Amino acid sequence: MSEVYKRELVFLVAGLVAAVMIVTYFLDIPVLNGLAQQLQVWALIIQLMAIGLGAINLVRVNYRHMQQKTEGLWIFSAWFMVLFAIMLLLGLVGLSTGSENAIYSWVFANVYTSLSSTLYAITGFYIFSAAYRAFRARNIDAAILLIGGVFVILANAPVGAVIWKGFPIIGGWFNISGQVPAMRTFTITGALGLLAYGFRTLLGKESGFYGEAGQ
Amino acid sequence: MALLLLVISFALFYFYMVRAKKGAEISARTFPAVAAIPEAVGRAAEMGKPVYYTTGLGMGTLNNPLNGPQTLAGISILGHVTRLCSRNGVRIDYFTPIVDSLPLVEETMRTAYLMEGNPEGFDTNHIHFQQDQSPYLTASLGYMQRERPASNIMLGGFYYESVVLGEAGNTIGAMQIGGSANTHQLPFLVATCDYTLIMEELYAASAEIAGDPDVLGSLKGEDILKFVVLALLGVGFLLGLANNATLINILRM
Repeated sequence: MSEVYKRELVFLVAGLVAAVMIVTYFLDIPVLNGLAQQLQVWALIIQLMAIGLGAINLVRVNYRHMQQKTEGLWIFSAWFMVLFAIMLLLGLVGLSTGSENAIYSWVFANVYTSLSSTLYAITGFYIFSAAYRAFRARNIDAAILLIGGVFVILANAPVGAVIWKGFPIIGGWFNISGQVPAMRTFTITGALGLLAYGFRTLLGKESGFYGEAGQ
Repeated sequence: MALLLLVISFALFYFYMVRAKKGAEISARTFPAVAAIPEAVGRAAEMGKPVYYTTGLGMGTLNNPLNGPQTLAGISILGHVTRLCSRNGVRIDYFTPIVDSLPLVEETMRTAYLMEGNPEGFDTNHIHFQQDQSPYLTASLGYMQRERPASNIMLGGFYYESVVLGEAGNTIGAMQIGGSANTHQLPFLVATCDYTLIMEELYAASAEIAGDPDVLGSLKGEDILKFVVLALLGVGFLLGLANNATLINILRM
């Protein structure tokens, strides 16, 4: 199949699927509803297959690092292969017994989840340094942001109300009357942008979903 | 009513796209963040360092209504950045935890190198996949410390990784371009990046890069739609003051 037909076919399939999903979202047509449900199941199956492909990709990349003894990386790749094999084995054992393997669950809860939580906790320090940069009063806009930020911080910190009872009130005003309308404006404009992006995608004017390089 | 509004929106986009295609002059917005991309790649070329590119966590799948389009918009821009990198002999490293985006990314980058007449420049080793948020973040942080990329481009559906990657990029002195349509991460991107694409700008950026008149026409349609929404908000505000729910009832139909 020529590249041109392949491209047209992708757009045709994408357009048809999008049309079915849009129509069934707004209208109750039993035949199309069934088709839409079927399409969603297909999407899920493709997604699960992609996870398998991702695992193969990981093994391939890390095996290559090990084989080529890539400086600074091969040792991590070797460790990855060991852990991958262990988790795969434990998962397969659980699959064969019909229930989740207890060791698999233990490793997941006590190693992976703990490490993830640790990493998440580090975010606090990054937020401090980002806030420091954002709250430097270099001009009038930054000064207004700083003043607003101080009120919001003192409204949320218990010590704020102890210092002055007005902090929670003013901070609350910034949160409700200042932040909510601004965020809703962002949400509305984001939705409009998404509409236009979706329309361009349906017409084949966007390269993202086709895997084509930007013009 | 929602269906009617959708049809009207699409008709408006189509009208301006056709007008632009017929040669009508369309004054579309430009984005400083998009204009800064060549500078970011040029900086990497001068320093002999790579460009780091990521489309964020995106909830780990393209099949997510909120994040999927953002990831796709990020991949659209990736094509443009990859072409610039290929042209300037700069290495680009792409990091993602979104498994189903891998074939698209691979195809986008391969096509970009091909279009620059440099197919041998493409290497799948520069596409880094890590399953889930924490491994993705850890791998990205390690990469930044080891390779010290000259530029850090983060465009897509971000979660808490935005502040971590942004701050890590600041630590190594990278030029940073960020963008997301996730409102909860915008403050972090604005605080840490030199240039930011805010909300719909992320979707519109690829249209500006494409530069096709008909594609730019859809941006014009979007701007007109914004004024319509603003007018509706104004009317709704005034009717609300008068305790009149007519507009709300019409929109709820």
